[in-house]
Amino acid sequence: MNNKLIKKISLVSASALVAVGLVSIPVAAHASAPVCQTANYVESCGGVTSDGAKYATMVPANFNGTVYLYSHGYRYAIDAPALGYKVATIINNPVPAPLPNNDPTDTTVIKYLLSQGYGIAGSAYSIEGWNADAAIATDKELIDTFKTKYPNTKKVIAWGESLGGFITQALAEKYPTLVSAAGLACPALGTVEAELNVAGDFLWGMHTFFDPSIKGHNYSAGAAGEAEAQADISKILGATAEIKASLTTGTWPHNSGAAGTALAAIPPRSALLLVGLMAGIPTKSAHFDGTTGPGAKNSAAYTSFALAASPALAVLENGAQSAILGVLATLDLERQTGGAFYDNSKTDYASRLDSDLTTYNAALSGNTAIAGMLAFLNPANPAAPRWTATADAQTKLRALVQNSGQINVPTVTLTATSDPAVPAGNTQWLANKYVAQWAAAKAKAQAAAVTSGSYVAPKQMFLPIWNVAPTSYTKFDGSGAPDTSGPAATGTNHCNFTAKQWMGLADILAKASTDGNVQPTSALRALARKAGGVVDSRLQAPLLPFYGNN
Amino acid sequence: MFAKRSSKFAVLATASVAVAALTLGALPAQAFNPRSEAGVTATTIKLGITTPLTGSAAPGYSKVPAAMQAYFNYVNDNGGVYGRKIQLTVKDDGYIPTTAVANAKSMSNGVLAYVANLGTANNNAIAKSPVVGLAANRIPSIFINTGYSGFADRTKFPTMYPIFPSYIMEAKIMGQYIKENFAGKKLGLIYQDDDFGSDALAGFKTAGVKFDVAIPYASGSQSAAAGAGWVGKLKAAGAEVVVMFGVTSATGAALGASAVLGYKAQWILGSVGGDATTLKALGVPAAVLTGSIGASFLPGTTDTKDEYIKQFQDVNAKYNAGASFDNNVLVAMNSAMLTVEALRAAGKNLTRDSLMAAIEKKGATFASAAFSPILYSPTSHVGYSGYWFGKYDPSGAMLPDGGTYSLYTTDSGAGAVVKATIKRPAMPAKGLPNNS
Repeated sequence: MNNKLIKKISLVSASALVAVGLVSIPVAAHASAPVCQTANYVESCGGVTSDGAKYATMVPANFNGTVYLYSHGYRYAIDAPALGYKVATIINNPVPAPLPNNDPTDTTVIKYLLSQGYGIAGSAYSIEGWNADAAIATDKELIDTFKTKYPNTKKVIAWGESLGGFITQALAEKYPTLVSAAGLACPALGTVEAELNVAGDFLWGMHTFFDPSIKGHNYSAGAAGEAEAQADISKILGATAEIKASLTTGTWPHNSGAAGTALAAIPPRSALLLVGLMAGIPTKSAHFDGTTGPGAKNSAAYTSFALAASPALAVLENGAQSAILGVLATLDLERQTGGAFYDNSKTDYASRLDSDLTTYNAALSGNTAIAGMLAFLNPANPAAPRWTATADAQTKLRALVQNSGQINVPTVTLTATSDPAVPAGNTQWLANKYVAQWAAAKAKAQAAAVTSGSYVAPKQMFLPIWNVAPTSYTKFDGSGAPDTSGPAATGTNHCNFTAKQWMGLADILAKASTDGNVQPTSALRALARKAGGVVDSRLQAPLLPFYGNN
Repeated sequence: MFAKRSSKFAVLATASVAVAALTLGALPAQAFNPRSEAGVTATTIKLGITTPLTGSAAPGYSKVPAAMQAYFNYVNDNGGVYGRKIQLTVKDDGYIPTTAVANAKSMSNGVLAYVANLGTANNNAIAKSPVVGLAANRIPSIFINTGYSGFADRTKFPTMYPIFPSYIMEAKIMGQYIKENFAGKKLGLIYQDDDFGSDALAGFKTAGVKFDVAIPYASGSQSAAAGAGWVGKLKAAGAEVVVMFGVTSATGAALGASAVLGYKAQWILGSVGGDATTLKALGVPAAVLTGSIGASFLPGTTDTKDEYIKQFQDVNAKYNAGASFDNNVLVAMNSAMLTVEALRAAGKNLTRDSLMAAIEKKGATFASAAFSPILYSPTSHVGYSGYWFGKYDPSGAMLPDGGTYSLYTTDSGAGAVVKATIKRPAMPAKGLPNNS
């Protein structure tokens, strides 16, 4: 096929996709061979796996033998009317590739991959919610189905975002011979318990400081539990709105209860920041950088905002996102495990906070205020009871599939350093695991070299690419009030990656699948920059609190 | 036989060389240690400092980088350090810890070491930031501008080298001074409500001093209005002697309010916030400052009989663009001299590790203007350990009690405060270190 024809296919395919949209991919009603149609040199197929997951594949006429298998992120397990979210819509619409900036109408990445001759595939999973156990099986079956349909398939590049990153890592751990390279974007990693502890700590803090009627855990069965969760979201958003308004008044939210009385002398923004730090929520957000203020740098207003207000406002902005996901994910997993699994009865928050108490001392209103807040949160305070898990639920939670952290195939992560929903500490967990894995491989190679006389260095198989939030980006209007109308800063928000970043990641994974490693060569670093990230061996994100301090 | 042994040896040797040669290159990104010669070329040594040039703590302290660079330029004009010129990269952090971390991160690959980073919270944030990886990447942070006692903990902060006497030491020594001179008086205290202040509280407690009124303030909250509030509380409590343990802008707020509200007390100013030049620039009337008591570990800035003061004043006049010579400039130049001595002691093959090893092995012998000995050793990161007391005269000069310097030393624990004999190394000729 000559270059001219390839270009023509690419262009026609691209315009065709835009015209027909993803919904035109044929979808079979039950487990069966894929149903396909070809238009503009692209064959689009739909089908259902044996567990009922709907999937979609797209393959260009100039298929080069490599398919990108995409695993999408967490989708709520219940309808969320306030967000316009319906499970039925999601589960019937398989997505074969990432959607830049979470925009369902943006097919840029799909067009790009097809234009390069790659196939793409992805499912909607058989169930929504936390579904890693099922999704791994779905992905495996989809690979087999794809290879049956396209026998000239040589490589599978697995990639996914958020929960999809967790699934992709688990897939590569379990089926290393099926995957040539793995891409983990904004990934959850390790164990779901680590993620849910972030949510639990935040929800418990909101409950304890700002609104004891926030349930936060141990939701009722059935529709009653769903109503409790929806109510919690409203209460949390209501409390954060009041805290935002209190920046000038210092008034605690009206439902604060005992904390609002006991800690009235402390600005509620400080209490919110403490909760965010306890949970491990980033102190940079879409619009608040935690370092700048309005006006001249020498002005009191600048220092006051940067030092005291900005970190709290970042937690507030991040916390709203985290809370919605946290509430609905907690409800989801409690249903899966049969009860409350979050337990902070033995959590030592003061010890966990350690250096944060120094770094954010001013924003927390000083040592005296910190001591007062921590005293209120002490387990001995009857106004701040801790939450306990039921043993059976916790056991079931821990029985769900976990990542071992073993890197079997060239693996690349793309992680925003200030991701509020799935913090960068997930990636750090995997990075730390790989350091140990590499050290063991090196020791083995050295031992072998003594015998053979020839040292063969282990291949580098893991490369973290960090999408770092800038130092300064908060904007202010003429009155000195923060302006949050602009787009989120890079390196913030969850899976907030542009088409360019996704395409950059795709390019890196293609190279990794060819090279069989991810040695950070200048070429790879250049691709990382194209993906809007940096390869920085010295950058370490804070681990999730569940994993301890690094 | 010989051939066999030789062959075996060759195989082993080759293997060893191969392992040694390939280890660094083959390490993964996460395990990769920084190149030890970061910031060092055949002709230059790059150092970095993050410090407030703007914001609440900028008054006075903003003069530190320029004064350090002035001394480095003086050394550079006289041959540098083994032929290498010292370059100082300066970053403004506004006394905001998160900004300090960003600054430190931005410099981490390009400088041999941080020098004189300012502020307890900022240094703590840098030290514990996984983004910077101060200890993990073996980045020295030397002669830091804070007296927080915790930084001398070699286990927690293995690459940090504080030089100031700790705030605990200062409070213990100050506490004894208070007991000896103001027994029976009603005592007040204003302190920064963070680790800086908690050190002070610990020191005063060890000294057995109890305050009738203690007023904490959160860093960055100092202002004229805040100062008026503090003075109101002091007046209400009837405090006759007030210790001010905060940054200079907070001292200015307190003394300024004192003048406006007509509050008369015996002020005792901690070393951090007691620079007269800065206080006067902040609008503190000379009448309020006169008679106040201060503490220092360096000679008085107007003591031109002191060889170090005279030399630093000369350097300041020639290299520091006419900046007034005050305590901030003195502290900065003294730390700059210590830095040059440390760089020389590290030798011509300068690395981060050799720099830290030199400070630990030879730091106690470094010449400096301080009256206190330096306590660095392979098992100690404690710098100076003593203070003398003086009173501010109408010109703002702090003069020693009784006309002569009386040094008191102690530790950060339960050790006694003792009057010490001043034995200071002679200044190197022309203030140019020649140690090795």
